[in-house]
Amino acid sequence: MEGSLVPIVTVPEVATVVEIRDEIDEVKTFYFNFDRPEIEQAFKIRSGQFIMCTIFGAGEFAVSLPFSPENDRKHISVRRVGKVTAALHELQPGDKIGVRGPFGNGFPFEEIKGKNIIYVAGGIGLIPLRSSIVQVLQHRAEFGRVILVYGARSSRDLMYKESIREWKATENFETYFTIDRPEPDWSGEVGFVNQLVAKKLSLPADNTVAFVCGPPVMFNSVIKELKLKGIKEDHIYSTLERHMKCGLGKCQHCAIGRTLVCVDGPVYTYKQIKTLGEQI
Amino acid sequence: MSYHRGVCNFCGTGCGHLLQVEEGRVRGVYPLPGHPLSQGRLCVRGWHLHELLQTEERITTAFIRKNGELQQVSLAQALDYVTEKLKKIKGEEIAFLASPRASNEDNYLFGKLARAVMKSNNLSLASDAGQEASARVLLSGGSWPAATGSLARLKQADFILVAGGDLTKQNPIIASEIHRARRAGALVVTVSPRKTQMARLSQVHLRPAPGTFFLVFEGLTRILYEEKKIKADYLEKHTENFQAFFKKLDQVDLGEVVARTGLSREILTEVAQKFYQSKLTYAFYPTGVQSLGQRTMAALFNLMLLSGKLGQNEGGIIPVTGISNLLGSYDLGLSPAFLPGYLVASEEKNIQKLEELWQTPLSRKQGQSVSVCLTENESLRALVVVDHDEEIIRNVNRIKELELVVYFGAYHNNFASLAQVIIPRPSYAEAEGTFTNAERRVQLSRKKVDPPPEVRPLWKNLTELARALGHDWKYQSAEEIFSEIAKVVPQYSKLTYRQLESHLGIKWPCDEKHPQGTDYLQLPEAGSKFRFVLEENVRPQAQSIAEEKANFPFRLTVGRSNYFWHQNSLMKRTFIPKREYNALLLLYPKGFVEVSEEDALRLQLREKQPVRIVSESAEMTLAARISPDVLPGQLYIPYFIEEMIPEFLLRQAAELEKNEEFFLPVRLEKGG
Amino acid sequence: MYWLERHQLDNLVKKLTESYELFGPRRDEVSGEIIFDRLSHPQQLDLKAPIPYNPPKYILFPHYEEILKYRYDRQSKKVVLGRVSHLKPKALVGLRSCDLTGILCLDRFFLGQEFVDEVYLEHRKKLFLISNTCVRPFPQCFCVCTDSGPSAREGFDLDLTRVGDRYLVEIGSKKGQSLAEELGLKKAGEEAAELKKKVVDESVSSFDAFALENKAWISRATNRLTTGFIKPEVWEYIGNQCFECGACSFVCPTCSCFNVEDVNRLDGATDRLRTWDSCSFEGYTKMAGDHNPRKPVEDRRNKRFFCKLSYSQSKKYLRPGCVGCGRCARVCPGDIGLPNVVTYIRREITGE
Repeated sequence: MEGSLVPIVTVPEVATVVEIRDEIDEVKTFYFNFDRPEIEQAFKIRSGQFIMCTIFGAGEFAVSLPFSPENDRKHISVRRVGKVTAALHELQPGDKIGVRGPFGNGFPFEEIKGKNIIYVAGGIGLIPLRSSIVQVLQHRAEFGRVILVYGARSSRDLMYKESIREWKATENFETYFTIDRPEPDWSGEVGFVNQLVAKKLSLPADNTVAFVCGPPVMFNSVIKELKLKGIKEDHIYSTLERHMKCGLGKCQHCAIGRTLVCVDGPVYTYKQIKTLGEQI
Repeated sequence: MSYHRGVCNFCGTGCGHLLQVEEGRVRGVYPLPGHPLSQGRLCVRGWHLHELLQTEERITTAFIRKNGELQQVSLAQALDYVTEKLKKIKGEEIAFLASPRASNEDNYLFGKLARAVMKSNNLSLASDAGQEASARVLLSGGSWPAATGSLARLKQADFILVAGGDLTKQNPIIASEIHRARRAGALVVTVSPRKTQMARLSQVHLRPAPGTFFLVFEGLTRILYEEKKIKADYLEKHTENFQAFFKKLDQVDLGEVVARTGLSREILTEVAQKFYQSKLTYAFYPTGVQSLGQRTMAALFNLMLLSGKLGQNEGGIIPVTGISNLLGSYDLGLSPAFLPGYLVASEEKNIQKLEELWQTPLSRKQGQSVSVCLTENESLRALVVVDHDEEIIRNVNRIKELELVVYFGAYHNNFASLAQVIIPRPSYAEAEGTFTNAERRVQLSRKKVDPPPEVRPLWKNLTELARALGHDWKYQSAEEIFSEIAKVVPQYSKLTYRQLESHLGIKWPCDEKHPQGTDYLQLPEAGSKFRFVLEENVRPQAQSIAEEKANFPFRLTVGRSNYFWHQNSLMKRTFIPKREYNALLLLYPKGFVEVSEEDALRLQLREKQPVRIVSESAEMTLAARISPDVLPGQLYIPYFIEEMIPEFLLRQAAELEKNEEFFLPVRLEKGG
Repeated sequence: MYWLERHQLDNLVKKLTESYELFGPRRDEVSGEIIFDRLSHPQQLDLKAPIPYNPPKYILFPHYEEILKYRYDRQSKKVVLGRVSHLKPKALVGLRSCDLTGILCLDRFFLGQEFVDEVYLEHRKKLFLISNTCVRPFPQCFCVCTDSGPSAREGFDLDLTRVGDRYLVEIGSKKGQSLAEELGLKKAGEEAAELKKKVVDESVSSFDAFALENKAWISRATNRLTTGFIKPEVWEYIGNQCFECGACSFVCPTCSCFNVEDVNRLDGATDRLRTWDSCSFEGYTKMAGDHNPRKPVEDRRNKRFFCKLSYSQSKKYLRPGCVGCGRCARVCPGDIGLPNVVTYIRREITGE
C-alpha cells in the first residue's frame, strides 16, 4: 500500500498522545492521534518509514514507525537517550506532540509477495520491524513461510510483549525467542540470535528475504549466518539509524557516502550497506 | 542586515571579524579579511560568537538579595544599595575581582574605583598566575612585560619553539600562523608531555616528564654554553650580568637534566644547535591556566638572551594570552603588584605619581590578590566582581560570609548566584571599548547593537558609584576614559580613538618616540641593558616539584581544549560548540582520564572502564580513555571535567590552576 | 546584448532600490577588503572590486534563522505554531560567476530534489540577480577548472561585462528584459560577442598558473574521490592539519549543511532555529546514545571533499559541488583548502 498523502514537510502537525505504555527499561510506547481530522484520515505510511517528532519546548528527533500501514494504532516506541527523548518520556496522556512525515523509502512489500520472509531482531531492533511483521501477517496468505527470530539480553528486555503473545498464537507464523542467559521461568531459547539462526533455520535460499535489525555486533553475526545459508546480499534488508535534523534530504547530517538515509533510506539491502563505506 | 567590523572577544588572539546585524540583533559572524593577525580566519569559537550574542539567558536587570532570594530592582535602587554599603567599608575590608574579558576602559575605571575611591589595593584577576609571572620575568630581564616579538614576520621564521599547552586549541589562529611558518620552512619544536595537535604539527616534539620544563630550557642553555655557542659581542654590549649567569650555568648538571626530563642528550643538543643557528627565532608559551612556572619562563628568557635573540629583529618571546583582554588588564594595573603601566605598586614615587594624576590620596597598604584575601584576610567584608566566567569558585564558604558581594555581569553563572547585588552588563557587542591582544595590539570595537533597556556600560555604573561616594568623576564616554588612560599608562600615551578608528589595532608602546606604535622590542638604549633572570630576582617557582611517592606512581596533568574553554559558562550558551562538547561527554558521561596504551595493557584496562584516581587528599571515579597522546606513567584529564567532578578538583584546584607544569602524584585503581 | 552606459548604471541601481534591498560588493574602509554586503548607499557598490571575501550564500541561507515559532501551554494543552516571515525582495548586484554558480547549486539542491525546501524557496523567489564578469581573480581562484567562470552563462537576470567604461548587458530572464527596456538600454551590435570574448579571454589568462595547470588534476582528483581510491595516509595528513573550525563549509558557496535547534524564548515561545553546520565537526553525525559512525577527523574531511568533487554528489548539483572560488583556501587555519587537497592527491598519484 502506497502512502497517498503528501508528507508533512515543514510545519509539524499537532497530535495528541492518547496512551503511554512502559515497554522495557527506558523505553516507552506513545499512542497518538492527529488533532485535525483530515490529517488523521489522510496520514498513510509504508512500513519502515519514519517521522520527525517534535516535543514542544525541547526539540525534534527522527523515529521509526512500528505500526502497520493498515488497521493499526499509530504509535512510536522510544528509548530515553538524550535531552529530547527525555522530554518525551515526561509527557502524560493528553499532551501534544508535533509530527512531520512520513519520510524515507520503507520496507519492500509488494515485491516480496510469494516469498519466504525471515525477521531477525535484537533488542529494540524489533521496533522498526514490527510495522512490516504486522502488515505481512495481515496479508498472511500472500507470502511463503514467515519466521521471526527475536532475542534480547533478558526476558525483561523483550519489546512488545503483547504482540509477542499474539504472534506466538498466530498460525503459520514461526517464532523463536531467545535471551542471553537462562532464567527460571523462561521456556524459550537461550543464546544469541545468530546461533539460533544457525541452528534452527533451513530455507530455500533463493526464495527468501531477510529483515535484520539490531545492535551492530548482532547485525554482523546474523548476516554471516544468513550468508552461510545462501541468502543473497540483496535479499537482506535492514534499516539504518542516523542523526537527522530535517528528514528532507537537506541538512545532510545523515549522509553516508553517496546516500542520505532520510530520503534514500532508511531501508537498505545488505549489498548496499556494504558499499556505503561507513560503519553500521 | 549588514556587516560591522569588530574584534573577537574570546581568546587573546584578538581576531578581526564582521558581525552581521539585523534589526538590532547579531545574526551572524564572518572573519574580517585583511586583519593583520587573523587575516580572514576564525576558530570554531569565533565562528559561533553570534550564537552567544543571541542568547536570551542574560542578566538584563538589577537584583538585590532579600531574605536569601534575589529580587528584581531598578538599576538606581541597586546602585544606591551598593553605595550605602560601601560608605561603611574601609579599603582593607574590600577586594575587587576584575575581568580579563572587560574592555580597557571598564577595567581602568574598575581599578580606579578600587584604588582611588575605596582606597583598596586588593585588586586582581582570577587564574592569572601565569600572566603575572611572565610580566615579572620579562621586566626583570630588562624587557617590556609582554610579547617582545612581532607576529607580522612569523611566516619568515626559521625556528619556533612552542612550550606547553596546546595552542591549536587555545589560540588556534596563532597556532595556524605557526603552522603556516612551518610550511614555509620553519623548524617547529613543541615542548609538551602530551601529544597535542600542536605537537603533531611540529617536526620535533620534546616530551619532558611533567614538572621538568625548566630543566629542558636550562639544559639547552647549558649545552650552548658548553659548546661556546654564545654571542659574546651581544652579551658584552647589551647585557649586564652574564658573568653571574655563567656561574649559575656551571651548576647545571646535564646528566640530571637527561635523567629527570627523560630526554636524550642527543636530541637536546640537536635542538640547541638548530636554535642557535636560527636567524628569526620565536618562543611561545601560554599564560593563564595552562601557563608555565616562573622558573621555566626565566630559563626560556635566558636561553633567548644567551643566543642574542632579543631586541634584534621581529623574533622574540610571545606569551600567549588565553582571554581577550588579559594583557590589557595587566597594562591597566589590575594586580596587587602593578599600578597602571606596570609601575611597581610598592614604590612610593609611583604611588605619588598616580596620586597626582588622579588628584586623590591613595593607600600605601600592600594589596593582596582576591584569592589571598579570601583565604587570609580575616577583616574582608566585601567583594566586587566583574564577569566571573569560571564555573568553579574557590572559597565559597568565605564568600558566603561576606556582608556584600556585588556582581557585574552579562550572563548568569555560579558567581552571580552568590551575589547580594547583581548589576547587568552589556554583552561585548553592546558597548564600545578597546581590547589589547597577546601581541600588544590595542583594538577598538564599536557598539553594534543596543543593550536591553536597563543595561548600561560598566564604566557608566562605576562612574555613578564613584560620584555617589564623593568623587567628582565626569566621564561621558568610553573615549573620554581612554584619553585619561593615555595620560596614565605610558605605553598608551599617544593612542587615541581617532587613530584606532582608522587602524586594525596599534601595538603598544605607542608614545612620543613611537607615535605609530611599536612592532618589536628594540635593543636597550645607552645606559640600560638586558639582564639574565637569576633566581634571586624572581619569586621561587610557584610550585616545587611534588615529591614522587611509591604509592602514587602516576603523574596527573590537566589541560584544556577548544570546546571546553572556560568551563563552558560561555560555550554552553552556543549551539555548535556546546554540541561538540556534549559529543565527547556522550561517550564519557562521567568524565574521563587519558591513560597510555602501554599502561592500559599493563593494567589490563578496557576503554571506558571505570577507574578510581586517588591522590593524597582526594579521589574520584571516571572512565578510562586509552589514548596514544599520553606517555606511560602519565595521566591527563581535560580541565572542563571540573563540572563533573568538582569534589576532587576543588580540593586541589589551587595547585592545578597554578600552571601547566603542575602535576599531581596519583595512583589509578580499577573499578568504580 | 545591450549597452549600459556609465550614467545608466546609476539609473539601474536607482531603479533597483525602488523595489529591492540592494546587496553588492563594497570596500571596508579600514581593512580595504571587499565584502558582499547590504549597501546603505548605492555609491558603495564597487563593480571593479576583486572577488568579495564572503559569498552571497548568507542572503539565501542565513547563518542563523528562525524557521518556525511555536508556543505550547501544557496546562491548557494548546499549541500555536506557524512560520513567521517578513522577507523583503533583494537585488544582488555584481555577483561573480562562481557565486552565481553557487546559488544555482543551492537551487538544485534545495529545490530540485525529492523535497522542496520551503524556507530556502521563500528567500530565493524574491531575488533579482545581476552577475558581473570577473576580471580580477585571486591567486587561489580556480573557477576556470570547475566550469564556473570567469563569466556567467546562466541563472542571472542580467549579466554585465565591463568593456572600457561601459558595460555589455546580457539578458537572462523576463524580469531582466523588462528592466533593460525600462532603462532604455541600447542594443549592442554584432561586435558585442567578440568584445565580450576578448574580456573573458584576458581574464582567463590572468589566472594563476596553478589554476590553469590544475584543470586536469581536478578531474583526476574527482575520479579518485569517486572511486575511493585515495590512500588513508593522505586523509590522515589532511586530518592532522584540520583545526576543526568549520570555516571551509561556512565560506563555501555551495555548502548547505545545517543544524536545527529549538530554543525557548523568555516570552514563553519557542523558536526553531536553523544554523550553519559543518560535516567537519565531531558532533555532526553523533547520535544520542554513544554511537558515532564517522569518527576520526580525517574521515570527516574525506566526507567534505567527497561532497565537493565526487561524481555522485555532482548529480545533485548537475555540476561539480566546487565552484572554484578559492575561499576555503583563504580561511583555512590548516592549509587544507580544496586546491591544496587536490595538490596532495596529485602528489600521491605522481609520487612527487
